[in-house]
Amino acid sequence: MQEHFQHLYEALSQVDGYIYPNEIDLHWGLMIVLYPYITGLVAGAFILASLERVFHVKVLKPTYGLALLTALAFLLVATLPLVSHLQHPFRSYEIFMTPNSTSAMAIFGFVYLWYLMVVLLLEIWFDYRRDFVIWSKSSKGFKKFFYKIITLGINETDEKSAKLDDRLGYFITVIGIPSAFLLHGYVGFIFGSIKANPWWSTVLMPIIFLFSAMVSGIALVMLVYMVVSWVRQVKIDMKCLDTIAKYLLVILIIDFTLESLDQIHRIYEAEESFDIIKVLVSGKLNITLFLMQIGIGTIIPLLVLGLFQFYKPSEKIRKIIYFIIGAFVLIGIFFMRWNVVIGGQLFSKSLSGFTSFNTVYSGMEGSIMGAVWLILPLFILTFLLWLMPPWKKVEFHN
Amino acid sequence: MGTNRINKDRRKFFQTSAALIGGTLAFSIIKPLELLAQSKNEVAKDEKTEQPLWGMGVDIEKCIGCGKCVEACKLENNVPREPFYFRTWIEQYTVKKDGDVKIESPNGGIGGLKQSVPDEDIFKSFMVPKLCNHCTDAPCVQACPVGATYISPDGVVLVDETYCIGCSYCIQACPYGARFMNPVTKVADKCTFCYHRISKGLEPACVEVCPTDARIFGNLRDKKSDLVAFMQKHPTEVLKRHLNTSPRVFYNGLSSEVR
Amino acid sequence: MPKIIFRLLLSFIAFVTLFVLIRQFVIPDSFGKYGHYRANSIDDNKARPLFYKGEKKCIECHQDIYDLQSADVHSEISCETCHPPIINATSDCKLNIPELKGTIEFCAQCHTKNAAREAIGFPNIDIEEHKGNKNCIECHNPHAPWELTE
Repeated sequence: MQEHFQHLYEALSQVDGYIYPNEIDLHWGLMIVLYPYITGLVAGAFILASLERVFHVKVLKPTYGLALLTALAFLLVATLPLVSHLQHPFRSYEIFMTPNSTSAMAIFGFVYLWYLMVVLLLEIWFDYRRDFVIWSKSSKGFKKFFYKIITLGINETDEKSAKLDDRLGYFITVIGIPSAFLLHGYVGFIFGSIKANPWWSTVLMPIIFLFSAMVSGIALVMLVYMVVSWVRQVKIDMKCLDTIAKYLLVILIIDFTLESLDQIHRIYEAEESFDIIKVLVSGKLNITLFLMQIGIGTIIPLLVLGLFQFYKPSEKIRKIIYFIIGAFVLIGIFFMRWNVVIGGQLFSKSLSGFTSFNTVYSGMEGSIMGAVWLILPLFILTFLLWLMPPWKKVEFHN
Repeated sequence: MGTNRINKDRRKFFQTSAALIGGTLAFSIIKPLELLAQSKNEVAKDEKTEQPLWGMGVDIEKCIGCGKCVEACKLENNVPREPFYFRTWIEQYTVKKDGDVKIESPNGGIGGLKQSVPDEDIFKSFMVPKLCNHCTDAPCVQACPVGATYISPDGVVLVDETYCIGCSYCIQACPYGARFMNPVTKVADKCTFCYHRISKGLEPACVEVCPTDARIFGNLRDKKSDLVAFMQKHPTEVLKRHLNTSPRVFYNGLSSEVR
Repeated sequence: MPKIIFRLLLSFIAFVTLFVLIRQFVIPDSFGKYGHYRANSIDDNKARPLFYKGEKKCIECHQDIYDLQSADVHSEISCETCHPPIINATSDCKLNIPELKGTIEFCAQCHTKNAAREAIGFPNIDIEEHKGNKNCIECHNPHAPWELTE
């Protein structure tokens, strides 16, 4: 606690203008930045997978299974930053036991559960069920045990059952698209519904969150596909990669348009809060907003991907550039979350001053914990890929 | 023989587990019904005794910024001494002749506020005590995911310390900065109108110690209370009216600079 | 119904049942009695310890000082404004004498020069200029400020 006070005294000495005395402590830190970031990756990856399934974009086939498993790996971790940020993490079950129907955060718990249990797990299950049966016969040890359990005792591998799996899986994916929209739109609503905070309170917040989620998810799947192909020593399907990049470009344009619209609206209306937001954007957020989010995360990818629509350099160069652009987009979206969550707390609700954010390394809300929550899904993904490799699936339908 | 015994054991196992599950199910069906029956009785009892509706008046024209209320509040409610935790605080507004507004509240006003602007630059200056506004449509109560903060039947926004999960969502939702995360209890903390005092017929500690009677506490439903008289006599205003939170803390002499 | 749907439905029902069951046991008893909260929490909030006793309690022993104070400009001020209770001195101020602070800084809290005080006509003075070498209480009785000593 003394350390925390020390930290706050430091922040107190950096206060600029007037802030309410209770605002010196930034209540939402890195963990709440990670939470919408990770949830966004899930929603984005899932939507990319759905493109192949529902809209029959056949070129994306090589990434379908990867995208689903990526979504699952990140979804399993999505709530952990939230829990580690709670002051009483052991009371977190209360959100499910006595959810307050008017609270955006409480309903998110159920949206999350719906998405995990009904959409993602089921879709993956239908996709893999037949393979689980086949694999359970050919493998040993833990894998065999896992496959046996997960089949729920259904051992059919005939054409009829496979067709049924496919139909049910398709049905779940159709439900899944609005669910993924709901999942991440809802995360935006958690911020957008706070009328006390003029930086958050905008009706566009859910839809901006949604499109930025799709941007980040697509970029992530692109990177995962490249890394996995490289590790497996297989050739990257350039047609697939080019198509992903094209989708990335389109969604990025929509995302950027929406965010610009939001800002232009703010500037034109110039409400009571505008003066402080102007100072916030040009001062405290100038690096994270203009350089990281807009420059690296948006403008450079837009220009490069846009150029690729007219002029395609050689495959080798394209691969390298796609990799860099994917990483840039992921960094950009991270800072977009940062600018929303941290930026929204840097200025006082009295609209007349600023506090500052000081990085902490240790503790439940420190950067080290943050790194753990970002790396953990990659380990889970590796495990999932080992357990149920999409490339070893037995092809059945065309 | 052997298989027979196993079968018997098995049967016994199934019997006990069935009984256990059945009992649990039966219990869980009865339990909520029990609750329903109970709650009906309670409500009936409450309707007979007229509930008060607590509120506070703050007279800016009387506040001298001595900080006694802030000190008393911290003592009475065990609020940590560090200058980051306040259930109530006083802001001094100084409008300068060049139009700039300077707002100050060093240590929430404990020890008395001191004027930092030279006299010749001052256009006007006044003190604004702040506290939880006990909103009728409280954004914090709306935002709490688990129902750990609520409006009591007599109109006071309270926190359930044993139930709060410490997510800070209510702190984000409060437009007045009236909430903080208590570093000792690790739950959201805020002004309760000294609920433990008012329920015993005493005044909140800040009202008790205010030397100039700048704070008026009372029952909004009691037409003879000091608070109602104060509201009849003065044009009163609430903070951040545009947010439509319908506060129950009313200010007299609120200048447009106050935010 | 295909076996696969039946099995899944069964798992789903099992999951929901388990959830509902756990819920019944975990929700606190008084939750939802008045609204979406634990009704007993109202009593918890009422039960917090009380430190400030209120003027009436002080008058029980100190009627003389109260009378003196009532006759002068400090009549509106409650005892505990200047004599706050020490933590845990909840029942008896003879055991724990209420805190008394130093005088000049103490009087200055209310009376030091401040434009906001000037604006509402509250007696505020430049303490340094006014006091000379003296302590406030050498001239003023804090209970009756205008009963000046020599």
